[in-house]
Amino acid sequence: MRVANKTIYEAITFNLGNITEDLSHANKVVATGKRIINLSDDPTGLTQGLHIKSSLSNIEQLGRNITLGKSWLRASESALTNVQDMISDTKSLCVQMATATMSAAARASAAQAVQNTLEEIVSLANTEVSGRYIFAGSKTDTAPFSQDGTYNGDNNAFTVKIGRDATVEVGSDGEAVFQPSGAGANDDIFQTLSDLKTALENNDVSGIQDAISKLDAHLDHISEKISDIGSKMVRTEIKENLLQDMSLTNTERFSNIEDADITEAIMDLKAKELAYQAALTAAAKVLNISLVDYLK
Amino acid sequence: MSGLGLVLSIAKDAVAAQQYGLDVVGHNIANVNTPGYSRQRAVHEAKEPAPYGGVLLGRGVDTTQVVRATDQFIENQLMEQKSSMFSFKEMENYMQVLEGLFNENSDSSISALMADFWNTWHDVAINPSGGSERVALYEHSVLLSDQFKALNTDLIQLETDLTNAISAGINRINEITNEIAQINNNIVGMEVTSTANDLRDQRNVLVSELSEYTDIKTFEQSNGSLTVVAAKGTILVHGNDSYDLALGGDDGRRVEWQGSGGATVDLTDYISNGKLGGWLDMREEVIAKYKKDLDALVKEFVWTVNQQHSQGVGLEGFSSVTGTYQASSTSAALDSSGLGFASEIIDGGFRLWLYDSNGDYDSDTTLTIDASVTSIDDIVTAIDAIDPNITATTIDGKIQISASNGYTFAFSDDTSNVLAALGINTFFAGTTAGSIEVNDKIDSNKNYITAAQVINNVGPAVANSSNDPTGTGTIVTSGHYTGTADATYEIQISTGGAVGVAQFQWRKDGGAWSAPILTTGGAQAIDVDGVSVTFMPGTYVANDTFTIDVTADSAFYGTYASGDNTNAMAIADLQYTAMDIAQWTCDRRNGDTEGSVNATIEDYYHAMVGSMGIKSASISRGRAFGEVMVNKMGEIRDSISAVSLDEEMTNLIKFQHAYAAAAKLIRISDEMLNTLLSVK
Repeated sequence: MRVANKTIYEAITFNLGNITEDLSHANKVVATGKRIINLSDDPTGLTQGLHIKSSLSNIEQLGRNITLGKSWLRASESALTNVQDMISDTKSLCVQMATATMSAAARASAAQAVQNTLEEIVSLANTEVSGRYIFAGSKTDTAPFSQDGTYNGDNNAFTVKIGRDATVEVGSDGEAVFQPSGAGANDDIFQTLSDLKTALENNDVSGIQDAISKLDAHLDHISEKISDIGSKMVRTEIKENLLQDMSLTNTERFSNIEDADITEAIMDLKAKELAYQAALTAAAKVLNISLVDYLK
Repeated sequence: MSGLGLVLSIAKDAVAAQQYGLDVVGHNIANVNTPGYSRQRAVHEAKEPAPYGGVLLGRGVDTTQVVRATDQFIENQLMEQKSSMFSFKEMENYMQVLEGLFNENSDSSISALMADFWNTWHDVAINPSGGSERVALYEHSVLLSDQFKALNTDLIQLETDLTNAISAGINRINEITNEIAQINNNIVGMEVTSTANDLRDQRNVLVSELSEYTDIKTFEQSNGSLTVVAAKGTILVHGNDSYDLALGGDDGRRVEWQGSGGATVDLTDYISNGKLGGWLDMREEVIAKYKKDLDALVKEFVWTVNQQHSQGVGLEGFSSVTGTYQASSTSAALDSSGLGFASEIIDGGFRLWLYDSNGDYDSDTTLTIDASVTSIDDIVTAIDAIDPNITATTIDGKIQISASNGYTFAFSDDTSNVLAALGINTFFAGTTAGSIEVNDKIDSNKNYITAAQVINNVGPAVANSSNDPTGTGTIVTSGHYTGTADATYEIQISTGGAVGVAQFQWRKDGGAWSAPILTTGGAQAIDVDGVSVTFMPGTYVANDTFTIDVTADSAFYGTYASGDNTNAMAIADLQYTAMDIAQWTCDRRNGDTEGSVNATIEDYYHAMVGSMGIKSASISRGRAFGEVMVNKMGEIRDSISAVSLDEEMTNLIKFQHAYAAAAKLIRISDEMLNTLLSVK
């Protein structure tokens, strides 16, 4: 084929242009450390990357939900454990006070102890986590129990989302915990304690004995609630570990998709540089040769 | 003629011919860098021999013509390739701008903001009474809607830029066609005697530039003039006449061919190549698609969030609320009211809860909606009838509900979507990427962000899907269940037909069926425990069943709690919900078609960005391929037409030597003549 001068010049310009473009891209990859610089560099990878990014963000959020949930569960557990201990102590006190040898004075002073316990349990039932009452159902801004044992919360336990399709009740309907059949009923802890207090004050042994069996029932009920919270805690922790694993694998996948392999990128840059130099040298040689030089 | 005279004459012609040859070589060398120049060649021919003394004697050389080395077929091929390459090249340029707009490597990208939006809803869900969570949600929502608006503005700007580019391109096309017409005129004048090589080259350069702008076909007429035909067979140049293109149409964005006598032909959908083709493809197909897709996405996003939001209640009830969506007619049925989301309204109803000045539950009312009958005015009348402390009116096609004497109100259980369609108790206002914003009501008071739901113990009537196909009638529940235990009511249609004809029976918790009861227009109590149902107009088919779940009555009926996060969680859940979202295919020739994909909001957006990348990559490949093709065709063209200096130098020597020889011939004949003359 005839090769005109123009062909040579244009081929050189075209090829150098292509190589510079490659070089500039390779340079950008090294400089940014990212494999995908424009949407068009790897559209499928990009879409995957976006999916992963949004699930990572979601996982992070669920992690925050779980942290909050755990703090509520922990607070509930410790409040109820304290309540359990106090009821158990009160029960021992009752057993002691029920013995016929106890003096009325001793019983009256025990009544004071029971009053303290009652106040303490009301205050535990009004436990707050960062300003929100955990035994108030969804009325978290209202103290759920008045001193007289009236319930001011509602029956919808506060719930948080710990997974895409998983929620867990981290707060409690205080009524269900402390007075499952309503205020004043047999299973109302506050009622039992205040009755016990009256019995002690009145030196009423049968009233004291009556309280012992009730306190037993309360202990069962509270420990049932504690184990319920414990199992929720376990569930939440399993979910948390799962999320952490997912977060790790997703971060790794994301990095595989988005980040450039620096060694590879630098090798690539070097190769492109070399190609560019070779092309320049060749161009310089070709451009200098002409028949004109040989005609004297 | 013969003898010495002939030799001298041959020598003279030979000298002249070599000199012509040298002239042409010189012309070639001089034009080695002239774009579009085709090398020329002097054609030497032996003169016709003349008989002399019984033999035919050659009479020397003649320069008959100077020809261009050119191949019109290759030129046309090159032109076509260029046309397509330039189309890709321009698209690639604009695609890069578009990719930049949807840049996902920043914190202000839509997908990052979208993730933040859902996350802040989660934050509200884990602390529904928290003021800072509500403000954060509001701020993120403003950022997100601003970003949607900014994208929309950028896309419109890109369209404007393209229209400007098209306008400039058209001006250049008109200049070129005008020049071609002039050159046509000159060529026809000059080619009476010989070929106008250089004018033809000039014309080729112009035609080639024209093909960079649009796809053209050319035909050479017998007199040497060139006819240029553009898309749809419209003639741009014929002889020494040229016809202009101009922007026209209703929106001033259509490319129109201006014929003689004011006739115009719209070429917008037919120009497929060249820069003009690329710009039009970009504006009418690529950007148009993404603009429509973005609108579809925003529309679905706004709707889904609003629909769920309107089911909830904030930290306080409304004392006054105005719908954000405007109806064109408040007296027309809702489905033809001209509301932005009118098509989403279905038969059903919603509950309106009224609270007294102490914030205590006062009453609740179920308003039934028949999408094809009920009008906004009907809703106004129904609300006015509830209680003197609550009134409704319409202002500029928007509904306004106000309570007086310290009363407040809230909504729940909207099965008709009418609240979201009116823009009452919604989170966003607007329907498109250009109009989305956070509802003013929420802007003014973040307590109206609905994280909770009013406690209502009567669930909606759910049609039993195992009875398909069912009738068109739907049932709306109302009332306050006063029973002390959770229960389930079943309603079975015993006699089919329209309301007033159809009969139903009911039972509670699988007990005995009641006797058939005739359906009537209004709310019908079905039990002593306070549950009522309304049969909406439509047909009811015998044996269709509906179930209604009710929960035990409590002191909390009609109240809402600050720590309730039911609705916030339901909204946060929307991020996982796949929905049908319109997806557009824009095609200039075949028109725009609307399809639909089932995806979550985020997946849709990701797919949209992905498809943009794929489009961009394929355009870049097209451009690279086009460049290689243009290069290849250019090489072939140049191998035929371009000047090689080496070749010209060789020719230079060739002609120089021939010239020297011819000169020598003159000297020899001179000597011979002298010899002859000196014979004494």
